[in-house]
Amino acid sequence: MAERIVVDPITRIEGHLRIEVEVANGKVTNAWSSSTLFRGLEIILKGRDPRDAWLFTQRACGVCTYVHGLASIRCVDNAVGVTIPDNARLIRNLLMGAQFLHDHIVHFYHLHALDWVDVVSALKADPVKASKIANDVSPAPKSGPSDFKAVQARLQKFVDSGQLGLFANGYWGHPAYKLPPEVNLIAAAHYLEALRQQARTARMHAIFGAKNPHLQTLVVGGVSCAADLNADRISEFLYLWKETMDFVNNVYIPDLLAIAGFYKDWGSIGGTTNFLCYGEFPQSAKEPESLFFPRGAIFKRNLAKAEAVDPAKITEHVKHSWYEGDGALNPAQGETKPKYTKLDTADRYSWMKAPRYNGEPMEVGPLARVLVAYAKGHEPTKKAVDGVLKQLGIPAEALFSTLGRTAARAVETKIIGEAMEGWIMQLVENLKKGDTKTFEPYQMPESGQGMGLNDVPRGALGHWIEIKGKKIANYQLVVPSTWNLGPRCAANKPGPVEEALIGTPVADPKRPVEILRTVHSFDPCIACGVHVIDPESNQVYKFKVV
Amino acid sequence: MGLASPKILVLGVGNVLLKDEGLGVHLVRRLEASYAFSENVELMDGGTLGLRLLDPISQADHVIVIDAIQKGEAPGTVHRISAEDLSKKVTFKNSIHQLDLVETLAYAEVLGQRPSCIIMGMEPLDIEPWGITLTAPVAANLKQLETLVLEEIQKAGGSWLPRFLEVNQKGEVTDYVFGDSGGDPRDP
Repeated sequence: MAERIVVDPITRIEGHLRIEVEVANGKVTNAWSSSTLFRGLEIILKGRDPRDAWLFTQRACGVCTYVHGLASIRCVDNAVGVTIPDNARLIRNLLMGAQFLHDHIVHFYHLHALDWVDVVSALKADPVKASKIANDVSPAPKSGPSDFKAVQARLQKFVDSGQLGLFANGYWGHPAYKLPPEVNLIAAAHYLEALRQQARTARMHAIFGAKNPHLQTLVVGGVSCAADLNADRISEFLYLWKETMDFVNNVYIPDLLAIAGFYKDWGSIGGTTNFLCYGEFPQSAKEPESLFFPRGAIFKRNLAKAEAVDPAKITEHVKHSWYEGDGALNPAQGETKPKYTKLDTADRYSWMKAPRYNGEPMEVGPLARVLVAYAKGHEPTKKAVDGVLKQLGIPAEALFSTLGRTAARAVETKIIGEAMEGWIMQLVENLKKGDTKTFEPYQMPESGQGMGLNDVPRGALGHWIEIKGKKIANYQLVVPSTWNLGPRCAANKPGPVEEALIGTPVADPKRPVEILRTVHSFDPCIACGVHVIDPESNQVYKFKVV
Repeated sequence: MGLASPKILVLGVGNVLLKDEGLGVHLVRRLEASYAFSENVELMDGGTLGLRLLDPISQADHVIVIDAIQKGEAPGTVHRISAEDLSKKVTFKNSIHQLDLVETLAYAEVLGQRPSCIIMGMEPLDIEPWGITLTAPVAANLKQLETLVLEEIQKAGGSWLPRFLEVNQKGEVTDYVFGDSGGDPRDP
């Protein structure tokens, strides 16, 4: 008899992501992903000055503010036909790189690790043994027995107070947790270390962004932080970059490898079939040719071929979404006509549209970027991926999985971080030569169309604008989480997360930690900024076993 | 102000695209435009970010958070909650979405750098998408909330002087991107 499990985080105002799965014989047999938050930001942008769009789009999301700002600016750059100066491109790349470093560290340690790491088990660990293991795998600081003992004491204090706080309500002791107590302790210690590090990494944005959160220094045609292009500010940025990279190399990557070693079975769980990457980090004005992470699409897991991307092949379906009709439109002609019916997994069940490329659901994000780069022979990616596969002793096919997705995120953090050094140096070289240009003037056309294709931490992000009478006539966003977490399309093909969940083992339907592992591996972010405090609520997460 | 002055962070949070949801940010902008504060007071538009605010939060001695607060009372009702009361009731939830403010305070505690904190705000009327202005009952009480926040700043050891304001004919501050009253004809 099949059981249905609903994982529905009831937040203070609206639920955000709701996952419903059918489980039979201890495995997921069917899945539905619903976003219960209505996004229709397009509506508020109509009639406004195109130059202001980015100030609105960067407020749309509570997490990835810069990326929506940049996507919008690039889209308007494209519409007005301006080529930005070299320095502006470098600054934008550096800010984007800083976003990746911050997001991925936070995702691995604070949004995903507790699906794999049993904090309570860490209390049983032997700090001397933990120290030995830690010192064997990396030169990370704070790895002595007394350091681990101190972490244990801190965790114990939380447990004893009856207030586990952040660590309450986990599935501690669940049989799906496989790490020995000592590895759990090392990971818990690094969870705390990562907290400190991310706080410092976040400062990188304020250096060239004027403030953080909500950067202020993007403009159509370039950037406005000309005054910050001096030795003091650049070396401040470089210092934080170096510190972050030490953490990535000495803590994040070794932890990923150590933890993955105990979860190799997840190299065959949670995979999808097709992958799309718009590419990111332009190295010159030529796009997509100069993109550091190349643009491409992979079908049917064929790593021998990454096809060129034609934006005209992108459509958004609404047959299973709460919008009028059941057609599929290209985003450049996209419509947003909400029509809520009820949540019915057999009919309409999500506020998200279902984006398709050439009619196929496509996974986007770190795994898609790494696979496309790997397929295209991108040197740094090939080297890093082959190294990880060899160290873990797993084949390339294991990349198509929850484990592969989580590993790809760590791998690209290192690759992007290393590339950033080159961009900083180029900036310094330009300034030395007396090239301080950061802005290219342009004329706002009476009418026009623009498209900004970006690859941001969570995946392929596209903004489309139509300008009439120098005002916004239409604006559409197709965000990474819509690609990954969207519902079925008109052809009833499941979206990537729906596909990925099928076959996932579920040992205990009342404590479905395995489902969280795969869902979290996509780094879902559709919260988009609702933030009201309800002091009476403590029920924020619920499962229904129907 | 001497070095020993406690560092006070006045943190307005919320989404300014969701009408009253952004009241914390509206109030911080109003304070910035209206007063020059002593050096130990920092005003910050925190938007809706969670963990990214850990750095400024953990560096402060005292945090005054301003946010929309729902307790089911009349829209515009001013609330004051201690963060200690709040965090007792909210537990870790393996959240699928981004970490929020209460969790960020808990993180500061885990690091041993938790500042004292109070949360002030108002009951919202409307937080549905989309709109960049406050509703009438919330806008009407913004001044009252401002007065109470200033009292809190003073209690915590901060001080201020009023700024010269450029105002429009209706007496409203016109100095920032999103006005906090007066409406916008393009606003749906």
